[in-house]
Amino acid sequence: MSIFRRNQVNSSLERPKFKVKISPKNPWFWLLTLTFVVLTSWLPAMAGTARHYTDLTFPTLPAIKLPDYERYQLKNGMILYLMPDKELPLVSGSAIIRTGDRWEPDPKVGLADLVGTVMRTGGTKQHSPDELNQLLEQKAASVETGIGKTSGSISFSALSEDLPEVFSLFTEVLREPVFDQAKLDLAKKQTSGQIARRNDDPNDIAGREFEKLIYGDRSPYARTIEYSTLVNISRQDLLDFYQQYYHPNNMIVGIVGDFDSTKIRQLIEDKLGDWQPNPDLQLPPLPPVEQVKQGGIFFVDRPDLSQSSIHIGHLGGQLNSPDYAALSTMNGLMNGFGGRLFNQVRSRQGLAYSVYGYWSPEFDYPGTFIAAGQSRSDATVPFITAVLGEIKRLRSEPITAAELAYAKESVLNSFVFNFQKPGQTLSRLMRYEYYGYPSDFIFQYQAAVAATTVADVQRVAQKYLQPEKLVTLVVGNGKTIQPPLSSLGSEVTAIDVTIPSPS
Amino acid sequence: MNQYRQFCLLRISAPITAVFWPRIQWRQRAKVWAKLCASASAIAFFSILLLLWAMLPLTAAAQLKNPPQAGESIQPYLDRVIQKVTEFRLENGLKFIVLERHQAPVVSFLTYADVGGANEPDGKTGVAHFLEHLAFKGTTQIGTRNWQAEKPLLERLDVLDKQIRAAKALGKSTEAAKLQTEFQQVEAAAAKYQKQNELGQIVEQAGGVGINANTSTDATRYFYSFPSNKLELWMSLESERFLDPVFREFYKEREVILEERRLRTDNSPIGQMVEAFVDKAFTTHPYKRPVIGYNQDIRNLTREDVQLFFDTHYIPSKLTIAIVGDVNPNQVKELAKTYFGRYAAKPTPPELNIVEPPQQKPQEVTLKLASQPWYLEGYHRPGINHPDQATYEIMGRLLSEGRTSRLYKSLVEQQQLALTAQGFSGFPGDKYPNLMLFYALTAPGHSTEELAAALGKEITKLKSEPVSAQELERVKTQARAELLRSLNSNMGMAQSLLEYEVKTGSWRNLFKQLDAIASVTPADIQRVALATFQTPNRTVGRILTKE
Repeated sequence: MSIFRRNQVNSSLERPKFKVKISPKNPWFWLLTLTFVVLTSWLPAMAGTARHYTDLTFPTLPAIKLPDYERYQLKNGMILYLMPDKELPLVSGSAIIRTGDRWEPDPKVGLADLVGTVMRTGGTKQHSPDELNQLLEQKAASVETGIGKTSGSISFSALSEDLPEVFSLFTEVLREPVFDQAKLDLAKKQTSGQIARRNDDPNDIAGREFEKLIYGDRSPYARTIEYSTLVNISRQDLLDFYQQYYHPNNMIVGIVGDFDSTKIRQLIEDKLGDWQPNPDLQLPPLPPVEQVKQGGIFFVDRPDLSQSSIHIGHLGGQLNSPDYAALSTMNGLMNGFGGRLFNQVRSRQGLAYSVYGYWSPEFDYPGTFIAAGQSRSDATVPFITAVLGEIKRLRSEPITAAELAYAKESVLNSFVFNFQKPGQTLSRLMRYEYYGYPSDFIFQYQAAVAATTVADVQRVAQKYLQPEKLVTLVVGNGKTIQPPLSSLGSEVTAIDVTIPSPS
Repeated sequence: MNQYRQFCLLRISAPITAVFWPRIQWRQRAKVWAKLCASASAIAFFSILLLLWAMLPLTAAAQLKNPPQAGESIQPYLDRVIQKVTEFRLENGLKFIVLERHQAPVVSFLTYADVGGANEPDGKTGVAHFLEHLAFKGTTQIGTRNWQAEKPLLERLDVLDKQIRAAKALGKSTEAAKLQTEFQQVEAAAAKYQKQNELGQIVEQAGGVGINANTSTDATRYFYSFPSNKLELWMSLESERFLDPVFREFYKEREVILEERRLRTDNSPIGQMVEAFVDKAFTTHPYKRPVIGYNQDIRNLTREDVQLFFDTHYIPSKLTIAIVGDVNPNQVKELAKTYFGRYAAKPTPPELNIVEPPQQKPQEVTLKLASQPWYLEGYHRPGINHPDQATYEIMGRLLSEGRTSRLYKSLVEQQQLALTAQGFSGFPGDKYPNLMLFYALTAPGHSTEELAAALGKEITKLKSEPVSAQELERVKTQARAELLRSLNSNMGMAQSLLEYEVKTGSWRNLFKQLDAIASVTPADIQRVALATFQTPNRTVGRILTKE
């Protein structure tokens, strides 16, 4: 049962080496297994003394083991990752397709989402939607598709014994979706229903409107699907969008689970090898990003509420910033049980159940810095003041050594949880490759966190947190917010979230 | 992500948690549908796990005609897991279940207190959940700089709180204000000795992840995971936590909990509906009441109430602990004796014996809110240990699981009346007789009346027509596979082993229920549907849009 088919890798290794197999057939396997047992077996000496946590010492944790995997490319350009995991008789796989709703045309917002939905629900050239559903669910298998802001995805999950058939259906959905008109109509109707319901929860309003304030309401990173954009979308648009992006030389496929390596390579070759690449593949440039509202207080009046949903923030940065580790350490000391926001705003002042503040970067476009939470109407202004105070304190005072230790050790001591299952490593490797990050990015991050100092945290707080640029958004009840938002000293701009009617 | 949008498992009975961690990655996706689901259940992660485990697994020993049974290869893997489980009970009555999984050097820990909202005295609703929050506040050694100095201040606060209430009751506002000033001074003085959230901070700094807790009608669960070299740290912290708790920062935490109530209930349309719905569907049993507590009850709770509730229910025989991951069971046992053997055995509190009388006539509740319409329909059913449990679970799957499920095909896909439509058992809990609850969200241009009629047709069909062999085989296979897929989650396994151990008497029932599910026949489904889906047994809830 013990599966140690993994490489022994030091945590700061440059790039994972391929094909260094340590399997039961390899003598090293047994040696490692024994070593592992010795390290973790416990000597029942001196049982019987309960000790306070400060009196405990701990054995060293075994080094991180990266799972064994193969990466290769088909002749048509498709990149494949294969990662065996024999623990359970299951196989799952996914593909990342280089597309995204940030590339859909402005008059047709919602197009990518519909492609992502109807690609699966609309059936394939060989199987109607009902047949596809039946075949998969009868085997407790699944194939799912979707398109998000920065990528498209398709995934499958199957019992190992069903792999050939399910993989075949997976490739059908990937290569031959028919975008059935009736299923497109259904998806559009469902989307209309979602539009109609988007103001039902105050926190949804806050999240959505905050992004519009930062990126702009027409920005591909914040715009929303409207009835007026939905009506512009035809089946031909779906076909065209699919044609533009779904090519073998525009995706990364990863498979993890209990498979035979030779057989699966053959299966992949059979099902995907003849898919012709598009040599003229052209991808649009990434949309430009800049913060549209430079500071200010914005308000959505919802007269039924007794609690305000509050978002405070500004434009942020990318994960590949050299300061990401220091910013992440800053996140650590603001949040969690030892975090300043949790301790001060929640536990000490009782102003909120949920409060957080994160530098929240993205892989390939600027993310946000966002601090948020909910507080009763009459505590709305104290909540905002308290959160702003913590943001300013980060800039004005150095953090304590104990805080630094809390933030750093939380990341470093829990690092092993990034390697609980081979699938975690697989999706990370695929994501890094997709966004052009080094495959050992997580280890670089680990090393950078370990090197972060008190001065680093203060430096990045001063450089990246910009109080004058903070936008404050409140969704709440104007009549009961006392003291009023105007007491914060800036002009309060009302936002109308009325949903434009279908024409 | 698409799966979420299509089939989000809306657990509106989800247990409430000590901490709300925002899942900011969801923000990036900004998909209305995912949020619709997430906003109603708020803590989808745990609730989905619960739902998965409420849906029982099944075995290859099915009596179906078409061999070979799909997924036959699964059984050896389940057997192997069973062999990796060890259990022991300390002399004081505290039970441990240990599952070895050496795939990675990590361990998950779950302490399960067999007490929830249903066990609260009338007028003290919310005390189980309040206690859950206060169980993060530390001990006489953790969370304080000087316990000897802090202790009298906490006692003074309780006295002042009592005096303030009395003064207010007598209309002595000047005196109340004066006392309030002193209260704030003492509270600030106490805060100087307090190390806020130190317990959680120690855990996180040592590499613990996922620290949280939740409270449901039936149980209170405390959990996190550590790297496997920190086993003894967990033993020390967790045993001390319930050996020697100090419920400090009580009055500020009350404000936090009131904010939680505003978030989940008062400012959430479906939150308001759930509270009104159980209030209507139950007349007598405490499932009638909200786990988070009524607003006024929360405000009236005292530290003494929490201490009494703790002393009564947090006794060794009512606690069960699961440890799943890279551990040596012998070491676990030795350490458990050392650390948890310190607990003194105590008499078991009386079992809850309130019985909900059969519902005699249909009930309904309609709320007009700033929300698009929702339709809910519930029917009373017996508790988890009833022989028909497996049949109810199969019915839930037939109706709700996947794109081939009956409610999806009929209400969502064919008639296009609903954006989503599902039904499941175990609402609001499942330890005691509970409800099978259906819910649906109207599609644009359709009404709750149309949803009610369409749902009624599907329910009638369950009563009047036998389920096809193919359909039945499908849901059984799905349940088997679902169990298999859950085996590689340490915390998921800890959770399910304990659900079965505490509620059904043995963790083995997690696997034995396979047989029960495999043996459900079409006739069973018809019989149970006929008995359950009767008009007098029905409660309807509607959210209608406020003009």
